[in-house]
Amino acid sequence: MRATVWKTTWRLVAAFLALAAGPSEAQTVDGAVIDPDAELVVAVPDDTTNMDPRIGMGSTRSNYIRQVFESLVDVDAQGRPMPGLALSWKPVGDLTWEFILRRGVTFHNGEAFNADTVLFNLDRMFRKNLDRWGIKDVAAGTSFEKVYPTVARWEKTGDYTVRIHTSEPVPNLWDFIGREPLVPREYTAKNGVEGLNERPVGTGPWKMAAWKRGDSMRFERYEGYWGPPPLFKRLRFQVIPEAGARLAALRAGQVTLVDAVPPLDAGVLGREPAFKVSSSVQKIYCRIYLNARPKDKFDSGGKDGLFTDPRVRLALNYAVNKEGIVQKIFHGYAQANASPVSTVSNGYAAQEPYAYDVKRARALLAEAGWKDAGADGVLRKDGETLTLQLLFPAKHYGQAFDETTAAVAEMLKAVGVQVVIKPIDFGTLLQTVTKGTLPYNGGFSSCRTSNNLDADDYLRDWTAITLINWAPYPPDLADLYRATRREVDPQKRLKLLADLQRRVRDWAPVVSLYQEVKIYAASARVLRFTPLTDLHMDFRGVALRK
Amino acid sequence: MSSFLVRRLLHGIVVVWGVVTAVFFLVRLTGDPVVFLVDQSATREEIEHTRRLLGLDRPMHEQYLAFLLAVPRGDFGTSIREKRPAMGLVLERFWPATVELALAAAVLSTLLAVPLGVVAATHKDRTADHLSRIASLLLQSMPGFWLGLLLILLFAVELHGLLPAYGAGTWRHLILPAVALAAAPLAQNARLVRAGMLEVQQQDYVRTARAKGAREYVVLYRHALKNAAIPFITAAGLSLGFMLSGTIIIETVFAWPGLGRLIVQAVPGRDFPVIQAGVFVFALIFVVLNLAVDLLYAVVDPRVRLS
Repeated sequence: MRATVWKTTWRLVAAFLALAAGPSEAQTVDGAVIDPDAELVVAVPDDTTNMDPRIGMGSTRSNYIRQVFESLVDVDAQGRPMPGLALSWKPVGDLTWEFILRRGVTFHNGEAFNADTVLFNLDRMFRKNLDRWGIKDVAAGTSFEKVYPTVARWEKTGDYTVRIHTSEPVPNLWDFIGREPLVPREYTAKNGVEGLNERPVGTGPWKMAAWKRGDSMRFERYEGYWGPPPLFKRLRFQVIPEAGARLAALRAGQVTLVDAVPPLDAGVLGREPAFKVSSSVQKIYCRIYLNARPKDKFDSGGKDGLFTDPRVRLALNYAVNKEGIVQKIFHGYAQANASPVSTVSNGYAAQEPYAYDVKRARALLAEAGWKDAGADGVLRKDGETLTLQLLFPAKHYGQAFDETTAAVAEMLKAVGVQVVIKPIDFGTLLQTVTKGTLPYNGGFSSCRTSNNLDADDYLRDWTAITLINWAPYPPDLADLYRATRREVDPQKRLKLLADLQRRVRDWAPVVSLYQEVKIYAASARVLRFTPLTDLHMDFRGVALRK
Repeated sequence: MSSFLVRRLLHGIVVVWGVVTAVFFLVRLTGDPVVFLVDQSATREEIEHTRRLLGLDRPMHEQYLAFLLAVPRGDFGTSIREKRPAMGLVLERFWPATVELALAAAVLSTLLAVPLGVVAATHKDRTADHLSRIASLLLQSMPGFWLGLLLILLFAVELHGLLPAYGAGTWRHLILPAVALAAAPLAQNARLVRAGMLEVQQQDYVRTARAKGAREYVVLYRHALKNAAIPFITAAGLSLGFMLSGTIIIETVFAWPGLGRLIVQAVPGRDFPVIQAGVFVFALIFVVLNLAVDLLYAVVDPRVRLS
């Protein structure tokens, strides 16, 4: 009897409390009730080594860094620029750019974001005025002062307005300055690079809560975020290097989202209703670089590169069945591209594909003088064989890349090129090409990506002697490139960029292979996850079903 | 005994010195780590400046001397990849992750091997023996990564998350990687115990023990096993050494944040300080374990004299 009385009393109290609290308003997204306190666990293949953006922004690092730090210019899912920490940017005359900054933005430690923050970051990027901040030196993934020497000075014209002055017109300044993640001024001056690496403080939607190196990084929603707050409370990047184990963890419900799904698994997962597979073209562009350096201009072993004749390089492009590679090796999760610029960069102009045409390839090689095939089928000219010593960074870019290199070697052999594949580690490849010790008949397969949005980052490849420049622009193309760098009118510049891409396509400095498509697999609980064309993932607007 | 210990310790120091010396010179043959530190537009002056900062511009013998003087202080320099003290990074991964995993796998592989080997030997050419030998053969020939993935699929996926598929931190996380890691040494140990037991069972003292009316388990575990254990102890000691020096494949499959993965990442990144610190720790482990195994011989078999 006593128990019944107690039970009834408890029920009445509970009912009263429920009424007093009022009707609970469940948050919904796409008609589904979501869990705002949930944790989203992303299985990623690797950990970052640094969180200070100045040390480097490679594809793995960028994914971690951009959760915490933001830049003046943000990016949408299609790779188009959109306002980030800057509300707008525009040229003021030919030699000045003006950025109007967003107000009411704070860093995770409460420090205000304003024009002084931007000036401090510009000082760090260009390694100027460092004494003013008590900083000795800044580790530099990109030496801005060398790559962009035309940027002369910067000033604030108000608490939320910054002007950057250049010595000549720089139409893509909004991009290379605007995409750099910004760090807090006072915090960095006080805590240095170590502080930024160990306890990063940004303006982004996620605060770093804990970092267990080699294992996981945990983030918490930043409640003071200037934009709409994230729709779930915690985010974790869990390192699981092996792709099979990442997918098993997803199937076991122990992670919510998987990064870098192998193409073969994507088809299987896509047929299961419990998972969603999504993909996006990336800026990662894989190619074969050929030694086309003239001996009189560069340190190339006292001999012209064997591939200085554009007809030979063009022939090699026609000899490679790119669609076959995309379909057979990547199961459709890659893209052939004849433009030197990634298809998702601003200013990209589609070019006529290099059709797979063995006859045409042979004809071009014959036109270039390579015609006397011996008994071995290898073409000869003046007693020399058409040999390509192909350096190949095995196991660096993944299995599909390794298979592609082997397939391409066979395709080139079919048109009379003797390909000698030399598997080496990535460090040795870097050392070889940096020192300029690539053999005169050498080449290497490699992939490049970009942290920038503009086409210029790709078209710059054949200007100065950089690591990947083994076919310097001839004078006419160099002039055209310079013109694209000086033209401030957006429409005129787009026309110039398209013209340059067409001419580079015909000049064929590299054998273009494919552009990567990144594949993600998510639990059906994940709502509104859209992969970006950029190097990172964006979880703003993403929700988890309850 | 004490002279044995002193002699073995001196041997150990020489071995560790030899290993770190070899590694010091070998890693420098792999190339220049500076290529990973400078951007693609770096000038020759900048590359030289970075080499100077790392001390790589100094003559090799000077670098080596500085290295040798720093080693006793545990100073292996700063990681090129992570910009943190190399030995700190190595120890962070070694304890507790690698030690936990290695000890769990060693206990599993040792404790299960003894009864399996004894049963196989006492039931020679009968069903239990055949089963034990087939199981040993399978476990020894199964690649670790494949067994690991199968265990994940069974215990994490098919059995609806009964055990975690990845990571470290709790005893539940430890089970699958420890089982996957223990599989091959368990099979090897079981075969060694079986072979040893078959051999000693023919010995006079075993026959005498039986004739005296000793119980069978006393004959097996007190008289026979003790004498059959020498090769087994050697193998178990060495396999513990291999486990402690980082089990790269199992760590990769189970995303176990141990020492093996750290070293694997350090090698292609030419992170000399981390490679040197890691190999120093490996060498130390092997020296200590070998010494421990030698001492154990004398405990198990009084005929072995440590002199």
